[in-house]
Amino acid sequence: MSTQTSDGPAPARAAVRDQLDRVTDPELDRSIVALEYVDAIEIDGGHVSVDLTLPTAWCSPAFAWMMAVDARDEIESLPAVEEARITLHEHMHETEINRGVNEDLSFAEAFPDADGDVAAVRAELDDKARVARQYDAVEALLEAGLDARAIVDVRLRDLEYVDGADSVSIYVRDSSFAVTVPEAPLERYLEKTREIGLVSAPADRLFRTPEGEPIDPDSFDLVHRRGRLAQVNMSSQGGICDGLREAREGRLEETAGD
Amino acid sequence: MYQHNGEEIFVIDGHVHLWDATEENIQHQGGEEFIQCFYDYHTTFTPEERQWDIDEYRKYGADRMVEDLFGNAAADMAIFQPTYLTDFYDEGFNTTEQNAELATEHPERFVLNGTFDPRDGEEGLEYLEELHEKYDIPGVKLYTAEWRGDSKGWRLDDEDAFEFLEKCQELGIENIHAHKGPTIRPLNRDAFDVKDVDDAASSFPELNFIVEHVGLPRLDDFCWIAAQETNVYGGLAVAAPFAQNRPGKFSEIMSELLWWLGEDRVLFGSDYALWNPDWLVEEVLEAELTEEHRAEYGVEWDLETKKKVMGENIADLYDIDIEAKRQTFEDDEISQQFELEDHYASEEPAAADD
Repeated sequence: MSTQTSDGPAPARAAVRDQLDRVTDPELDRSIVALEYVDAIEIDGGHVSVDLTLPTAWCSPAFAWMMAVDARDEIESLPAVEEARITLHEHMHETEINRGVNEDLSFAEAFPDADGDVAAVRAELDDKARVARQYDAVEALLEAGLDARAIVDVRLRDLEYVDGADSVSIYVRDSSFAVTVPEAPLERYLEKTREIGLVSAPADRLFRTPEGEPIDPDSFDLVHRRGRLAQVNMSSQGGICDGLREAREGRLEETAGD
Repeated sequence: MYQHNGEEIFVIDGHVHLWDATEENIQHQGGEEFIQCFYDYHTTFTPEERQWDIDEYRKYGADRMVEDLFGNAAADMAIFQPTYLTDFYDEGFNTTEQNAELATEHPERFVLNGTFDPRDGEEGLEYLEELHEKYDIPGVKLYTAEWRGDSKGWRLDDEDAFEFLEKCQELGIENIHAHKGPTIRPLNRDAFDVKDVDDAASSFPELNFIVEHVGLPRLDDFCWIAAQETNVYGGLAVAAPFAQNRPGKFSEIMSELLWWLGEDRVLFGSDYALWNPDWLVEEVLEAELTEEHRAEYGVEWDLETKKKVMGENIADLYDIDIEAKRQTFEDDEISQQFELEDHYASEEPAAADD
């Protein structure tokens, strides 16, 4: 139940949910809302509490950390929110994670024994998500009739958003003509490149190799295949996570039924 | 041999264990977490009516293993891949010595692999030599995420690991199986990172590197490495049981593997007793690639490919003569035990009748 305080209006539940929808499971590149990791949202004035449960108790602590921190930051970015509290349940490291996230500690402070750097893990998974998202964007351009040579040459300045339409015009061959593609796959890709600062200047080439370099037209097919492969990897891991979660839920139900 | 549309497919299960996770053998909490995690994988990807209960799963013993593998001739041979985990289990979880009891009883049916751990230093090198002398091991299974004291893992491209790979080369131990797959609680996910295989494989071109579990959840990194290193192979354990309850995903993963590695470098393994070949072999062989995937990737899961993946490819790595084996199995002890003599004799060429 949301309530009002004298400090100002409480955030709307839908707004909180929308913010959470922006948080992805970094390994699967899917929203934690869509993956049903969010158990509950409580709003009390400017204070928002979120309960999360992941598919297994031993999900990588670094991944669990990223999701919890991102959820906190996304919710706290709403002007009406004073503080967000995240509670992760049924995880082998829930104590460290909940304390760290809610006391604004760094990963290294929350996990003094952990070797490895959460920023590096995040960067690697961001790159994989970018490569997988690029596949869908490039597919849209291929469907619009562009060939490899034209696609590798597209720059940020060549895009023109059409007001009120869910499509984007892309000017190619020195602006000699434009094709129109659906906005969604392109925007989803650009969201990730913006997040990691890969494509920002008007003259920057839109599409990149997994290593972040512009694409040579001769290796276009191979790079595109690697995008597909990145998608298959993520959805395969998603299949394992789903299965493990079902097995866990099944066991919990059985125990409850005994 | 699996009878598939009137054809016979010789099946070598490239990844089996004989483990002991009884409570008496567990000496560290990690040992209990590990077997519980295995059991979650087991139940997740096993048809409900074929699931074991946790007690039989902890220790099933040699007789049951022989029956599960060979009783209905789903598998014809199997390769033991040890998993020591001696920090977790008093006597080890699944050691070469434990496997050897059964392997030496049926040397025609089992291949016995050893292991090494570079953190064991000089003593480890001696142990590897001992395994070579005692059992003439043709391969090793490596577990880079294994805990050893304060260490939570090691890498195949470490200088120390290279010393052991050199020793393998010197002793003629050619097949290096590395677990590069899903995290198993409580092991560290990043210690199963597949990237260290790249440098090891290019530095030791005479050795074969079999990446067990095809790198999942890093299938992309694995395929990209394998596309460049021709001595890198993919072991299907974990991917195979997708055939049973995620057929669309199985089709997609198999299509990727066949596209990146080709049909000669993909190897079947059940991961027994995680999954049981007595149902898994059938699921994999009856699986089909979807129309969309066949068109998209231009690959086929046809009889010729199945024969390679299920047996011929790994037979090449282990110098196994499939036709000679088939003849041996016409009257070996296991065929007698399960009355499989006719099964192995049925397709005998006429010329061999006299």
